[in-house]
Amino acid sequence: MLDIMKLAVFLLVVSAVAAFGVGYVNSMTAPVIDKQALQMKTDSFKEVCPQGEEVKNETERYLKKDANPLIKEVNVAYKGGVPVGVIYTIEPKGFGGPISILAGFDIGAGKVTAIKVLSQTETPGLGAKAKDPSFQDRYKGKSAEADLEVSKTPPTKDTQIQAITASTITSKAVTSGVNAARNHFAGNFVK
Amino acid sequence: MSLLQEFTKGIIKENPLFRLVLGTCPSLAITTSVDNGLGMGVAFTGVLLGSNIVISAMRKIIPDSIRIPVYIVVIASFVTMTDLLMHAYTPAMYKALGIFIPLIVVNCIIIGRAEAFANRNSIVPSVLDALGMGVGFTLALVLLCTFREVLGAGTFLGFRLLPESRAAIMMILPPGGFVTLGCILGFLNKMQSKTA
Repeated sequence: MLDIMKLAVFLLVVSAVAAFGVGYVNSMTAPVIDKQALQMKTDSFKEVCPQGEEVKNETERYLKKDANPLIKEVNVAYKGGVPVGVIYTIEPKGFGGPISILAGFDIGAGKVTAIKVLSQTETPGLGAKAKDPSFQDRYKGKSAEADLEVSKTPPTKDTQIQAITASTITSKAVTSGVNAARNHFAGNFVK
Repeated sequence: MSLLQEFTKGIIKENPLFRLVLGTCPSLAITTSVDNGLGMGVAFTGVLLGSNIVISAMRKIIPDSIRIPVYIVVIASFVTMTDLLMHAYTPAMYKALGIFIPLIVVNCIIIGRAEAFANRNSIVPSVLDALGMGVGFTLALVLLCTFREVLGAGTFLGFRLLPESRAAIMMILPPGGFVTLGCILGFLNKMQSKTA
């Protein structure tokens, strides 16, 4: 019995010292990590919706229960108190797991301003190309009126997005996310 | 064994990946580009160094019957610290390595060194052992990465060597990892059987 107590106390002391060490490093790094996350968020908001001056998270106001589950967050960009753009965080399921995307829309023009892939676990060299500007730029300036579709050949219509070569699943996933956001945007923000 | 040998044995003779064939899971998963390999190697060496020092310093007071839980607590703490530090100061690397940083905790090389070496030797040889194993593992990862990145993506450290159309994507996908590791192990075994 005494032996077991000894072992338990020893393990307790080791764990306590370890916890103290980890806690110390955490208190040192937590502010840096938070700052980085915030900076990254504002930077990417600026990228997909450059015309907004101030961005407010209005997810609760706009995301009703029956909304498309692909939409995770709705942020509205204001300029001089007037809403000028909407930034959606969408998370469609790609080939290798969820793809987190920001999609910015311009309220005045009723168009996609830009999209940006925040994180993805697609196949390197194939689907991972979704985060390259060359693919993301294919969504720029698309109208929010009609659903976009993926084509494997160079697009002939304005509503077509050319797929990444050999990554149709990824391309379709990104497009389905953008369509969900587009649909919500057309229903809530375009008069 | 001299102190210098404690360091060099991890690089060639007892290379953790190529000779002991430990830690193959993270090695196969992250060796898609050379910078990933370097980052993983450095993080791994940091954890191994910390755990070897602490375990070697405590080797006389750790009760034998609970040594494994103690190792795990020590290793897990160092891994968590490394994870937090990388998240804060090297965010791009942190993102690229993802789940494989926390998974260093179950990397069998680290617990293997704790049990096989740090537990039986004083601090100085343990430090040298950790550095040697770390350098050996890092070099092994970089070698794997070099083959896979050059052949699979046509680049080296992001610097383009082959035109994109010439790259064989298979090499940066999982099969490429198995093929590359298999070829290197086979080559080394052949070399060894010749010299032996």
